[in-house]
Amino acid sequence: MVVLMPYNLYQPNQLIKWKQPMLDVARAEGVIDHGIAVGANFAELFIEKSLTSTISTLSHQVQSVESGIDFGIGIRLVFGGKVLYGYTNKTEADELKRIINELAAMDLRDPSIERIAFNFSKPEEAHPATLTLSSDAEVESKVAYLLAADAAARAASNVISQTRGACRQKEQHIELFNSEGLHTQDARNYIRATLTAIAADGQEQASGMWSDGGLLGWEMREQVDPKRTGDEAARQALVNLGAKACPSGRMPVVIGNGFGGVIFHEACGHLLETTSVAKKASVFHDKMGALIANEAVSAVDDGTMANEWGSINIDDEGMATQRTQLIKDGKLTSFLVDRLGSEQTGFERTGSGRRESYKFAPASRMRNTFIEPGDADFDEMIGSIDRGLYAAQMGGGSVQPGTGEFNFAVTEGYYVEDGKIQYPVKAATLISTGPAVLKEISMVGRDFSLACGMCGSVSGAVPTSVGQATLKVDDILVGGQG
Amino acid sequence: MALEDQASQILEQVRAQGAQGDLIVDQGEALSLKAKEGALEEHKVTSSQVFGLRVIKDQRVGIAYSEASDAASLQALVDQALLNASYAAVEPFETIVPNGFSLETDDRLLSPEDPASVADKIALALQIEASLASKPEVKNVPYNGVQDMCAERRVFSTAGLMARSKARSMACFAYALIEAGDKNAMEGLGQTARRFDQLDAQGLVDLAYQNTLDMLEGSAIASGKYDVVFDEEVLPSLFSVFAMMFSGKSAKDGVNPLRDKLGTQIADAKLTLTDRPDNADGFGYALFDDEGTPAQATALISEGVFTSMIHNSMTAAFFGGVSTGHGTRGPKSTLGVGLHQLEIALGDMAEDALLAGTYFLITDLTGLHSGANPISGEFSFGASGYLCKDGIRGQAVRGVTVAGNFYELIQRIGGIGNAQYWNWQKTALMPKIRFLDMQVSG
Repeated sequence: MVVLMPYNLYQPNQLIKWKQPMLDVARAEGVIDHGIAVGANFAELFIEKSLTSTISTLSHQVQSVESGIDFGIGIRLVFGGKVLYGYTNKTEADELKRIINELAAMDLRDPSIERIAFNFSKPEEAHPATLTLSSDAEVESKVAYLLAADAAARAASNVISQTRGACRQKEQHIELFNSEGLHTQDARNYIRATLTAIAADGQEQASGMWSDGGLLGWEMREQVDPKRTGDEAARQALVNLGAKACPSGRMPVVIGNGFGGVIFHEACGHLLETTSVAKKASVFHDKMGALIANEAVSAVDDGTMANEWGSINIDDEGMATQRTQLIKDGKLTSFLVDRLGSEQTGFERTGSGRRESYKFAPASRMRNTFIEPGDADFDEMIGSIDRGLYAAQMGGGSVQPGTGEFNFAVTEGYYVEDGKIQYPVKAATLISTGPAVLKEISMVGRDFSLACGMCGSVSGAVPTSVGQATLKVDDILVGGQG
Repeated sequence: MALEDQASQILEQVRAQGAQGDLIVDQGEALSLKAKEGALEEHKVTSSQVFGLRVIKDQRVGIAYSEASDAASLQALVDQALLNASYAAVEPFETIVPNGFSLETDDRLLSPEDPASVADKIALALQIEASLASKPEVKNVPYNGVQDMCAERRVFSTAGLMARSKARSMACFAYALIEAGDKNAMEGLGQTARRFDQLDAQGLVDLAYQNTLDMLEGSAIASGKYDVVFDEEVLPSLFSVFAMMFSGKSAKDGVNPLRDKLGTQIADAKLTLTDRPDNADGFGYALFDDEGTPAQATALISEGVFTSMIHNSMTAAFFGGVSTGHGTRGPKSTLGVGLHQLEIALGDMAEDALLAGTYFLITDLTGLHSGANPISGEFSFGASGYLCKDGIRGQAVRGVTVAGNFYELIQRIGGIGNAQYWNWQKTALMPKIRFLDMQVSG
């Protein structure tokens, strides 16, 4: 049976007994057997129970404190190449079998497989967390952090008119059973703290933002500095407040480290997911082994990095995650492969089957994705530009995998002329195609870092990190007002 | 236990703690089908339920939710919300509205019975994919599907509110990938309707195919200033990116850039923009908001003058006014404001006059979620569409950007057409508008 313990998030003595199975093994067996009985050649149960907490501040006040429980069971049946998926918040065996009956109504056939007995295993915890949500929500210390960041931002300049802070924590517990004998559990602890600062001068307004996060508990507070958060958010807002219109047209662009890695995420990462590859809806679907990028580019998707935002112990299909070399010296070396993608393409699984929650069937998704550092010097990159852009901070982006056309936004940019940074510019977008831009990356620096993001795709929004060292793209279209 | 009884018990516990509160219960069922190479690729059946509680005690607000509905979890829901409230700052303007109404939407209108079977819907999904895949030069149809969604919301409050709204929608969509030599293009669109038999699959397939084929030859155009017309899908999206300008909540929080502009001319005098939840032809139709306040048509911009922001009970109280029926709250979220269904009034230009000469018809903008700053109004998006002359599509355009400032853009309107069009989601009704001198980079 599912454990639904009475508890209070903020009373450490009333912890949820997470280590008990979230679904009784006998019930799971019965449901999996029912899936096999209606003819599925693969059946899977994904049980999730998550605690969430969000604390929001507006300037120097707490605006809201929210918390909740997500709970549900996802049922996946595979009939050949066809996936049937359903979910419910209920736990009764009859309800779970009813969903199976409804899903399989058009596909009923004689059983083709036998269930392999469950063999329980639990992954080694590679991402330990101590201040978890179920142990103590730490509301006071999170509020103190956000208010200290607000104070730092306001102290930076009297034109900082407003700040918004948020500290979000999630404790996700999953349990998986499948017809191939898998029975496993895992727990994931996510934390993220963000401050947005708004600068105003007359009718002009501009904003800046800084965020920290990881796959850990609120012990992250020992690693982050509210003054730095406030200072950085304020600095970006002040730079943007005085920014001029961005020149437009094709030009070289130096893209900063950290979230600048969104360029690889959009330009290439999504195109290497078997979700697109298997449908031949990726421009790279038939390029394995081919030179698809400049030889200066080597890229990795790594789910194993300790306590990083996009890391996992196991993927949402129960497979141990791994480090996957996607591109080596410009050559395509691997796709990101989930179970279904493996069956459809023949490539080995990479522990990349991910989903936002029990409401989604898993799909191949990125984890911590980055271009490996090189040895170029920042001044050398800027110095090589006659007329171009330094995109110090990037915003989000999007891609159409079928054509590889992508876009992403520059949130802190500077015009570069005659090898020198000239002045800040605002409202710029970079657009290109994946195959084109990968060949235009000519220099990669040494200042590697990762940054947190939420990636939305067919299996929902999942935490992913993007990353790179500062790099130079020789030619890309910059959209600005100048 | 019946839902009403569960709600009554929860709210009684809230009252017993000396607090006020409201409870939202969302329930939904959905069917989603996708096809691939002549066979069904995905068949998804879902049912969900979530309880969301807001409590107000000593002028402090707390929010909690639960997807589990056993007695222990619902007791924890109350405890968490009360505890969360204890940490919040005093908010004297947020109250539980004294709406003791019993409200209910008309199922015959918004959630009609539909005789179509699951087999019918599977057949349609297969038909859409097969029909589009069979067109010349189509490589495949990577994104397609048929969906049947039904969502019900119940709202209960300690003031006696009992509101129920239920809506059903059928939708289908398809995207074609066409390759010819080293060129490729992918375009698509969707349709939505209340009943299955109102979906026009062949129309969807034909239009998706033609749009993709036309875009295959797309290329950039020279950088410069162009007159621009956004199509009926893109124009509502553009307005929604900058909807903060109408938000009473943003104004209260001090981040609405137009908070001091009420009563002033902020747009060209040809522009009249109204929120129209009373238009039952659209899927943004609403009888009441999430506080149980009656929804009503609200003029936002009248002949270029900023006439009203949208308010819930809290923002209205802050500004000394009354709610405009735009309160939004989900089970997992705090009280906010939101538009229902935007409508731009008809202009006085016949379309042949509006579309005279050369202009850039934009049929897709990318980066809407990342390339705009609603506070400053600055934006820069990827764009594709057609260079048109006298209303006739000419060169297909892709690989370009458009940039500007939205608050300046709405002051540069060359004309507004005399016919209105729904977007495919049927959430906005707008005529064609010709914007002057937009910066395009190619």
